Parts: sequence; structure tokens; C-alpha cells
Amino acid sequence: MRILAYFKVTPDYEALRESEWSAAAGRVPSSGGGEGTSRGPSADGGAGPGRGEHAGPADGVDTRYVRRILDCFDESALEIALRLSDALVGRGRAAGLGALSIGAPGAEPHLKTLLALGFERAARVHTEAALDFAPAATAALIAAYAGRIDRSDLLVLGARSSPGGGGTVPFRVAEQLGWPCLTQVTEVEPLADGRLRVTLMGDDGLQRLTARTPCVLAVGNAVVSHLRVPTLTDRLAVRDRQPDVLEPADLGVDLADVLRREGPSLAALEGIDRHREGVLIAGDTPRAKAQALFDARLKSLLEEL
Amino acid sequence: MRFTVVMDGTSAGAADGTPAGAGEGTADRTADGPSGGIHRRAAALGAFLRDGLKSDSAGASRGAIDAQLAGDTLVFYSDERAKDRLVALAPTRDVRLVRIEARRPERMAALLSARAEGGQTDLFLFAGGPAGTELATRLACRSGGQALSEVLSAETAPDRLSCRRSIYSGHLTGRFELSARPWCVAVDPSWADAGGSETVAHTIVSAIDETGGGGPDPFEDRERMEAPSSEDLAGSSFVVVAGSGAGDRQGVRRIAAAAREMGATFGVTRPVAMNAWAPMDRLIGVSGARTAPALCIVAGASGAPAFFWGIERASLIVAVNTDEHAPIVGEADLVLLDDAVAVLEELAAIVAAEREKR
Ligand SMILES: Cc1cc2nc3c(=O)[nH]c(=O)nc-3n(C[C@H](O)[C@H](O)[C@H](O)COP(=O)(O)OP(=O)(O)OC[C@H]3O[C@@H](n4cnc5c(N)ncnc54)[C@H](O)[C@@H]3O)c2cc1C
Repeated sequence: MRILAYFKVTPDYEALRESEWSAAAGRVPSSGGGEGTSRGPSADGGAGPGRGEHAGPADGVDTRYVRRILDCFDESALEIALRLSDALVGRGRAAGLGALSIGAPGAEPHLKTLLALGFERAARVHTEAALDFAPAATAALIAAYAGRIDRSDLLVLGARSSPGGGGTVPFRVAEQLGWPCLTQVTEVEPLADGRLRVTLMGDDGLQRLTARTPCVLAVGNAVVSHLRVPTLTDRLAVRDRQPDVLEPADLGVDLADVLRREGPSLAALEGIDRHREGVLIAGDTPRAKAQALFDARLKSLLEEL
Repeated sequence: MRFTVVMDGTSAGAADGTPAGAGEGTADRTADGPSGGIHRRAAALGAFLRDGLKSDSAGASRGAIDAQLAGDTLVFYSDERAKDRLVALAPTRDVRLVRIEARRPERMAALLSARAEGGQTDLFLFAGGPAGTELATRLACRSGGQALSEVLSAETAPDRLSCRRSIYSGHLTGRFELSARPWCVAVDPSWADAGGSETVAHTIVSAIDETGGGGPDPFEDRERMEAPSSEDLAGSSFVVVAGSGAGDRQGVRRIAAAAREMGATFGVTRPVAMNAWAPMDRLIGVSGARTAPALCIVAGASGAPAFFWGIERASLIVAVNTDEHAPIVGEADLVLLDDAVAVLEELAAIVAAEREKR
């Protein structure tokens, strides 16, 4: 089974202060690409006036000073793919495990880590174009790589990713490849006959079902949420290996053209007001504060409830 | 502008082709899914049409779009009982029925895309949740239209549809413009909390049976599993939440015990669930349950938007946090700057003592 795990490297948005978010609100976004820089030439060339996401004056959200992390559901997906591969190998079956990311070189250290963890293949499709709010373009690149270059049987990726979070990419890839897709996957076990036993939390609740490859598995709230860490020995063993770098054209994708047809486009950012009073309940000890809270509000409220 | 509301009354079926919901009690079981069940999801579409869809030319929320006349409702269903309840929830007069043995997203997308071909429908509206997102996306891919999921509100203009949805994990709202038609929109799951629309007299304009067509289910041996439910959180009037500030598994257990002592329903933030300090069904936020209690005590959580969405409808929010700069401090009504576990245990003791007194 040729397994491909796709992941995205994103700015750690949780590290941004409240003031950065309020500054971003009201801006016309240009979608701050993977590296927080401006739009790439292909995106520019493709966008007409008014196409907010490619044509804005400045990045909507300034992420230049925050670190890059693995997007959380993609991190789950990578570890689930690794465990699946381990389980297959443990049963004496071949599991060719590959990893793919798209964007500027920010993904490179993560790809090296994956090589150290036993991924056979690690590739990056290089583009400076802003794909944060371009799910169709993202899906076109993933599908082209999986179908034409990697010839994968199974694609594992996060069910949604920052900052768009729409959760449409797995279905778009599935459409392009003509594969079925399961989303909100939480566990994957190999069966003896090469099929997969998949657990997922769907609209109808928790389900288990059997999938044949090829298919797309989009990982949701899995308990497996952290990617394992390679040992120094693992790292040294792959020290001379470099991830493959491909251009969209190598995949047969005319990215400028795909971006021209991309939609919906992000036209504006708005802030969200979550402000409440925040009245401080004072006291010298936890006991005193708890008592003050109880006397002030909880006593009467709990009687009502 | 013409629209079609797509109500998905199917459920993922059994492998042997037995219609889902055919067995004893299954229809009721499917109504209890985590995204609010088939019927709440369907009713949400009516609520969205009533309050979420506006016409910019008239500037009015309704009337401008006469929901009964400008659109129709397409109901996918597998069993009769589910069908009748869904038809009753249809927000338009005209209803089209499509019977299919179980949820088959690719077949359903093909059927919808055939309907889209005539170009008569500008907007296809889907329920919130993964199944609605899948149909919206697959239809857009096949019909050359554009898809957007988790839509909070939409405004029509002659040449585009302007939609708002939450982005950056809830830190901002984005306004998106859909140009190429059909516009394939899945509404935000929170519309399920908005109540249904008024009842409409329905005309069944077509009824087709697609059972048996289009090949086998790509997935086999489906098995529904009993999962602990988070329904209790959604319906609770008093919720206590433990966040990472609880420190460790023991701290989370102590806050859970304090919650039990006070008669509160216990919930946690994502890191707590991910560390397996509490089961996944306790998760509150965009990835878990959405609560609406009269009282919510948030102990040791920073108040990230993806979490806050799950408690924003609480009437009174009390934050217990050691950091006066934590976002939750500005998002709460009352704030106690102290250790989460210590305060919750003291509070539980006070509540217990008060109970003794009476
Ligand atoms: C797509 C996506 C979906 C997500 N969905 C959800 C979701 O559904 N639910 C969810 O919760 N999160 C979700 N998250 C994660 C969310 O963004 C936050 O990371 C998470 O809510 C933070 O959890 P926390 O507040 O427990 O931890 P932290 O952010 O680490 O906050 C811990 C808080 O505890 C305080 N603290 C520390 N020690 C103490 C002490 N002794 N006593 C009192 N306070 C103390 C700290 O000051 C801090 O404010 C999602 C993220 C993404 C990207």
C-alpha cells in the first residue's frame, strides 16, 4: 500500500496577541502565504481587481514574528499514517509511506523530521503563492501529486487546516482523483486482506467501517494527536537525504490558471466582539474568593437552577 | 434568485444494503448524532433562510426573498418515517423527493449536479456538519460552481453571493464572495440552535426512487458504535470547564469532582481531551459540544475563540485563572485570579455546606 500523508505548516496563530487580531480586522486581506510574505507572482497575475485575497494592499494578519508549526489535524494525520505503516510492516506487508507539503521552504525541517521517522519519501511542491484561502488550488496540487507523481493508494490528511478551516480540501482532492472520502476519522487499522478498518465520528455518531483503497481519509479529533519525535540516531541516519522539491508545472498544474478560477475569494476581515465586564472578585485566599463569588452571585443563581 | 434547499435525511447505511433506519429504533438513533441530529440540521436550513439570507437590493432580511416561491426543497431520504418528518420541516412550498438506500455522497452529488445543469438554481443550501460540507463541495467541483462551508450569513447580489464565515480558528470573521454559479453553501452548524421556521403547506412536485442505482457502497461492514454522548453538555444549565491550567490529570479529576459536588456538568478544553486527561466526549468548543448554560465556570482555560464558541451563549461566565492577561478575563462576567483547582474545591465545599444547612 502506498500511503501519502499531506500536511501544512502554519504560523502559530495562538501566539498572536489580541491587538494583532484587532489590527487585522477591517483590513482587506491579501492572504499571508505560508511564510507571511506577500503574494506570489502567479497569484498576482491571475487576480482581477476586487479579488480581495490576491489583491489586497497588505497582509490581513501579520504573522511574521510567530513560529511555524504543523497544523494540528495534519499532525494527527501524520502520526496515524506512521502507525498504520508500522502495523502493516508488523504484519509483513509493504507500506510505502510518503509525505507531502506545499508552499515555501518553511516545511523543509518538518520533511526532514519525517524522513528521520521512517517516511520513505518526502516532497514539497514549491510555490510562493498565497494558498491559505485557496482550497481548490491546494487540492489541485495534492491530487496531481498523489495521482501523477506518487501514484498513492491512500491519502491521509487533516480534516481541516488553518486559517481557512473550511474542511473542503479532502473532498476536493477526492473529487479530482475520483476516490471516495471519509472525514472526521479517528482511528485506522489494517485488515489482513489489505482493506482498512476505519473509525470516525460522523454526523450520525461514532461509526466503524471498512474501506478499500484508493481512498482519502481526513483525520478529525483523534486521540492520536502528537507526532512522535525522532532520536538523534534517526536524524543522523538521514542527514544526507533532502526532500524532493517540485514545481506546480512538474505536476502538470498551471497554478496561475487554477488560482484565476479559485473561489470564493476572501474580500474582508471583520473582528468579533466577545467582550464582557470581567468584574474582579477579590479576596486573600482561594477560600475567600470562592466565598465572595458564592455570596455575590452563585448562591441565588444555584437556588434558581 | 432561485435556490434549492437540500435536506439530507439519509444515514450511513449497513453494508448488506439494508436501508439505514429499517431496524427497530434506528431512525431515532440517527436523530441523535453529535451535530444535532437529522431533524435539527434540517430545521437549521429553515432558520438560515429566515434570518441568515439577505438580499442587498432590498436591504431586508425576508420578504425580499420569498422563501416559499423562489425556491424548492430537495429531500434525500431512506426510510418513510424520516421522510415525513423532513418534509414537514421543509421551508419551501415545493418539495422534491429522492429516495436512496443510504447516504452515498458521490451519487447524491451526481444527482444534484444533473439538476444544476439546467442553470435554474443559483444557490444550493446544505446543512451544517461534515455531510453537508461534502455534498456542497462535491457539487461545486462537478458543476463548476463555488462552495463555502460553515456559513454564518449570506447576502445576495445579482452577480455574486457575499457570505460570512469564521476563520483563523474563530479569531476573525471573513467575508467571502462567491461568483461562479451554482453557489453551494453549507450553513454553520450553530444554525441548529436557532429554532425552525414556521410551518409551510407543502406540494410534492416530484418523487423519484434512486434505490439500487449507481453501484455498491464504497465502504463496507458499517457498524454504529455506542459512544458516550455530550448531549448532557448541550442541555446543561450549569457547566464547569477544566482547561490546561488544571495542571495534570489529577487536577482535572479534582475539578471534575468539584463539578459533580456542585451538580454541574463537566467539560474540558481541547488540550485536556487530547492529553487524555478526560474523555473526548467532554470536549467543549468548535470541535466538540456547544453549551448554553445559565452559569459557566471556566477553570484554567485561556478562552481561545475555538473554545469560547462552545460557551458564548452562557448567561454568566466566571473565569478562574492565574493570569490577569488571559483572554478569558475580558470574555468573562466575573473573574477570580487564583489557582483553578484550589478555587473550585473551595467553591464545592461551600456549596456542599450550604446544602447541609438547608
Ligand atoms: C481547528 C481548531 C479547532 C479547535 N477546537 C477546539 C475546541 O473545540 N475546544 C477547545 O477547547 N479548543 C479548541 N482548539 C484549541 C484552542 O485554539 C486552544 O488551543 C485551546 O482552547 C486552549 O486550551 P486551554 O485554554 O485549556 O489551554 P491554554 O491556552 O494553554 O490556557 C491555559 C490557561 O490556564 C491558565 N492557568 C495556568 N495555570 C493555572 C492555574 N494553576 N490556575 C488557573 N489557571 C491557570 C493560564 O493562564 C492559561 O490562561 C482548536 C484549535 C484549532 C486550530
